[in-house]
Amino acid sequence: MTLVFDKLRKQYGQVVAIDDVTTSFAPGLIHGLIGPNGAGKSTLINMTAGSYSVSSGSIALDGKRLDTLKKYQIANSRVARTYQNIRLFDQMTVLENLEVCFYPADVGGTWKEVVWPPYASARREKRREKCMDILRFFDLQGYAETDAGSLPYGRQRMLEIARALVCEPRVLLLDEPAAGLNHHETAELTARLAAQRVPDRITIVVEHDMDLVMKLCDNIIVMHHGKLLFQGTPAEVQASPDVQLAYLGTANDIDEIRAAAQDRRAQLGIRARRRS
Amino acid sequence: MSVAETLTAAKPHSGRAISFLVFAIAIALIAASPFLPNYYVRVINSLLIYILLGIGLNIVIGYTGLLDLGFVAFYAVGAYSYALLASPQLDLHWPFLAILPVAACLGAATGILLGIPVLRLRGDYLAIVTLGFGEIIRIIINNLDWLTGGPKGIARLDKASILGIQVARPIDFFWLLLITVLVAGVLVWRLERSILGKAWAAIREDQDAARGIGINTTNAKLAAFATSATIGSIAGAIFAASQRFVSPESFTLQESVLIVLMIVIGGIGNILGIVAGAAILMLLPEVLREFAEWRILFLGLLMIFLIIVRPAGIVPRSFGPDKLIRRLFGK
Repeated sequence: MTLVFDKLRKQYGQVVAIDDVTTSFAPGLIHGLIGPNGAGKSTLINMTAGSYSVSSGSIALDGKRLDTLKKYQIANSRVARTYQNIRLFDQMTVLENLEVCFYPADVGGTWKEVVWPPYASARREKRREKCMDILRFFDLQGYAETDAGSLPYGRQRMLEIARALVCEPRVLLLDEPAAGLNHHETAELTARLAAQRVPDRITIVVEHDMDLVMKLCDNIIVMHHGKLLFQGTPAEVQASPDVQLAYLGTANDIDEIRAAAQDRRAQLGIRARRRS
Repeated sequence: MSVAETLTAAKPHSGRAISFLVFAIAIALIAASPFLPNYYVRVINSLLIYILLGIGLNIVIGYTGLLDLGFVAFYAVGAYSYALLASPQLDLHWPFLAILPVAACLGAATGILLGIPVLRLRGDYLAIVTLGFGEIIRIIINNLDWLTGGPKGIARLDKASILGIQVARPIDFFWLLLITVLVAGVLVWRLERSILGKAWAAIREDQDAARGIGINTTNAKLAAFATSATIGSIAGAIFAASQRFVSPESFTLQESVLIVLMIVIGGIGNILGIVAGAAILMLLPEVLREFAEWRILFLGLLMIFLIIVRPAGIVPRSFGPDKLIRRLFGK
């Protein structure tokens, strides 16, 4: 009952973005995916959700291949995601943004909805109830009839997560959910995500906010140059010299960076003196 | 502040008054129709046909966000379905009610036929391909002399009759069209509010994110094309029956553009907007008939003015039929 990557690879021409990653994600846990920029974290998320194709290897959920499916079929296998740059349906209301997620379940009854009003209102009521529950959980119930595009940024982030959660996904993929949020909003987000740690859900979070990752995640995977560098609990990750190396570079690198910075300051100083 | 801005503004009193006024004028117009001279009834009939066409095309343009410039092709399919099945051309004389489902099915099939190759296209590219499609259908009709009579068209179409009642005078078609527009309007409005309508909106807003929440965009788009084409085709069949003559001249690119204009000026994605847009684009030329050579200039200026003042259309998307009903009869 897991999500499994087997020798997963993504290649753009000669550039290898994901280099034979093999790992598995246990349900009921929140997995953090961290690493420096360009390490391939978002690529992994995008491949799992079907936004990017897989060059070789496979992705399987409960033994069922995901990588051969189309994007909407992956979503129908109850894999939900958010995006690094928020992608809501801007000119639809907050409520409609969630309601539309019931399309796969309800589309068969479309004609019945059109010609038989009592059926339509019953369906709509049912959808609305579920949506309002999740809106209340994210403290968005007051915005139900507002256009999603006119929400403040932080609320938009919450709504996108709400949209991913409304159909109770088996796999929840969050691509930098805290990007652009202030401290207060990040704390709220952390608490809400922790509350959504349900037994059979696999949550994968890509995030740069280490505070959030360390507090929230049960298992952390560190990526570096498209490879899996380290996997362990937050405490293990913090103690690992490999991870520190990937993030901060070697001692030599640091000396080089310092020297370059000093150089630049010296040049600026010269220019400033000339001007005066 | 323009009429519709006032309509949607916070002041409920003036808004309600204007809603009532517009509503009363519409009812009065409908009630007065049987007593108007034939000429005016014909004008109103053509208004109703364009509203019907607008309701159909709006599904693809307004709800699903796909710019279709070849809509007139479906109108032609419907018109020629009637012309071929109820005229001396093939010596077939089917009853109107038997032709209607045939025209609807042919329309839907043509809609899907157009839909499949353009599934991957959006925006300008889609507009160009659909424009080409509309022209292809027109040129085929123009050149298929043995079947369609070519540029001469098909004349002496049968008089339509529905369940033994003859539908021949302009006023008969007025009632037929009014009922069709009301039925199509209500059905399409309910369709917009159904789960499929929400999926269309999601595709319009962000197709990729729509796939990401499990919407099979291929099927949803084909459904939009098919429904839209069905309505266009039904409008065509009624048009043919009322003119009792069809020729390729009625199905030029200009017609497609006119319907798109109605939607854009009236209020994209809103059935009430289509009524407003059609009213302006169809009735104004009649009102300005005396200034014959200035007509087009007036119309052009008015369009520019409206697009500047009301970029979302005369009746914006947010003021749908449900809001109108609530404003008229609700609290």
